[in-house]
Amino acid sequence: MVKIRKLQLLVLTVLLAFSLTGCLSQSMDSTSAGGGKKNEEEAKTETPEVAEGEKVVNIGYSGPLSGPAALYGQNVLNGIEMAAKEINNSGGFKVGGQTYKINLVALDDKYLPNETGTNAKRLVQEKDTSIVFIPHSGGVLASQVFNEKDEFIIGAYTSEPRIEKQNNALTVGIPPKYSNYPEMFSEYAMKKFGKRLAVLPTATQYGKDWTETLVPVWKKMGGEVVYKTEIDFNKETDFYSTVTNALDKKPDVLFVGGPSEPTALVMKQAKQLGFKGGFMVMDQAKMEEMAKVLGGYDKLNGMIGVKPVRENNEPGTANFVKTYESKYKKLATSESAFNYQSLYVFVEAMKAAGTVDEPKKIMAGMDEGIKNLPKEKSIYPLEGITQKGGFIWPPHVAAVEDGKVVIIEGDKK
Amino acid sequence: MDLFLQQLLNGLSTGSVYTLVALGLTMVFGVLHIPNFAHGAFYMIGAYVTLTVMTILGLHYWVAMIFSVFVIASLAVLSDRLVYHPLRNASPLQHMIAAVGILLFLEALAQVLWGADYRRMETSYDDVVHIFGLTVTEQRLLILIAAVVIMAALHWFLRKTMIGSAIIAMAQNREGAYLVGINANVISVLTFAISGALAAAAATLASPINLIFPAMGNLVIMKAFVIIIIGGMGSIPGAILGGYLLGVAESFGATYISGDYKDMIAFVLLVIILTVKPTGLFPGRVH
Repeated sequence: MVKIRKLQLLVLTVLLAFSLTGCLSQSMDSTSAGGGKKNEEEAKTETPEVAEGEKVVNIGYSGPLSGPAALYGQNVLNGIEMAAKEINNSGGFKVGGQTYKINLVALDDKYLPNETGTNAKRLVQEKDTSIVFIPHSGGVLASQVFNEKDEFIIGAYTSEPRIEKQNNALTVGIPPKYSNYPEMFSEYAMKKFGKRLAVLPTATQYGKDWTETLVPVWKKMGGEVVYKTEIDFNKETDFYSTVTNALDKKPDVLFVGGPSEPTALVMKQAKQLGFKGGFMVMDQAKMEEMAKVLGGYDKLNGMIGVKPVRENNEPGTANFVKTYESKYKKLATSESAFNYQSLYVFVEAMKAAGTVDEPKKIMAGMDEGIKNLPKEKSIYPLEGITQKGGFIWPPHVAAVEDGKVVIIEGDKK
Repeated sequence: MDLFLQQLLNGLSTGSVYTLVALGLTMVFGVLHIPNFAHGAFYMIGAYVTLTVMTILGLHYWVAMIFSVFVIASLAVLSDRLVYHPLRNASPLQHMIAAVGILLFLEALAQVLWGADYRRMETSYDDVVHIFGLTVTEQRLLILIAAVVIMAALHWFLRKTMIGSAIIAMAQNREGAYLVGINANVISVLTFAISGALAAAAATLASPINLIFPAMGNLVIMKAFVIIIIGGMGSIPGAILGGYLLGVAESFGATYISGDYKDMIAFVLLVIILTVKPTGLFPGRVH
């Protein structure tokens, strides 16, 4: 008996430890938790073949490559890698008469900001990288503490507006900021479905921030919030009871979001429970992935969210989607596309700046780089870069009506 | 009233899955005194095996389930023979470390074999049924019914068969069981096989309404441990009652207290029950 009690105590302790580490990593993550358990894993693309007289420039990446967010990190990395390989295969690029090839050095940070910091330091000190891609807000904010002093540019793939508020001179915000979306989403959903909104975002910092941006906009337009909770995709095995509670308040529109697949499941369950209204979907969830997991766009009727990459009409879009999908055997999404295009912009900026290892000059060359971007590499229409280092894209929003993707045109920035 | 009944139904269907997972866990604990943290990984691999044979071999859902039950039962037995059995004289702490080791190994293995993507298991039971004004999908009804059937079968096996009685005897008193000539190795293999089978069945039942991904076991195993501590470690009725209790408490808690505290409810329940009955609802041993 005593033995059993002791064991029970031991089990409880371990359980507590597990749940604590779960909370710890989750509070910092934007999609998922539990990454801290895996061993460090290093994924490097093969070093490019360098002919005589050619030099290698290292480009860094620190993002989740193991653990629950691995899929997302891999998608981002794939985009960068594809661009790097294309550039190398076409003979590299020339800066001031010197030909360079790209060596992509990817480190796993398991989505933990402290690991990102360590990785970024390593990349700069050991590999002398002047550009490091980081695909999550926590990691970006952690690296912004020292990147100006250590002199490297952060290629920040996060739609979190806070990264711009740091006034960091060496940060390039790659994707559109999510502060663009709430007005367009609200306008569409309110006009089409009604004023009663139930808020069910993912329980992460990103979800909370998104909600805080959206709710005031919704209320200002005369809408009301009838139900508000969060869904923790790391802990909840079943969303049915949460969705039931939300629908009990008779909302016209649901605000949902998180990784594509679980978000799609929330929408599916709402429809099963008889919901006929609209969905506003956070930008982390990709329409094309959701359609894939549910088996068709007709299952997504009534949603408004970010436009699938293939719906763009830029000169490079179709080719990118085709090449990516045959190369990686999965759907091309905006994550890969934005990062793919960014690497090309960075390369053009290096050419314009006439240097590969002076971050400040490269930053100054970004404007020129955007203008010089080869037409066939443009997947999204890139219009320029703000004073604060954020790329300017027109809003890319789409809705699903009658099983078809409908592009929502907007002129707001 | 509708909301109440709807949430009761939601709670029971979640509770059914919890119960099946907790049953396997509690049996291994009751008979062998091993806190099998790897049980969640068995659950996860079970879902993947079902999905794989369904998509690659095109097997029917139920056939795939049976296949998966056998595969995971063997996997559980294998982990017993390779890891737990050699450690039988070691301290409980070492069992626990070994269990966590198996868990991490299987999770990494799943990521290598199937990738980190979310998968979905499509079945033909996706339609919505309305009963007495309640909305429920066929799959959820299936979960409810199948869980009861599986539990009844387990009960029958443990009560009415010679081997089942031997398992219970072993849980009640090891030395006594040895004295009357029960083979400890056979019992330990069998217990692991049953626990693996239950995990695979639970995973196959729950997957169509959820997603399949390498970390999916962690969600369930935490709850299962809470359940067996609530129910009394090693107790079968405790696991059944605890499972349904937790499922219903979660869904009612989210409705009538606050959705934001949904995760806390499991632990509040744990604190309350351990305060009132420190040994759990059904203390002691396998009944």
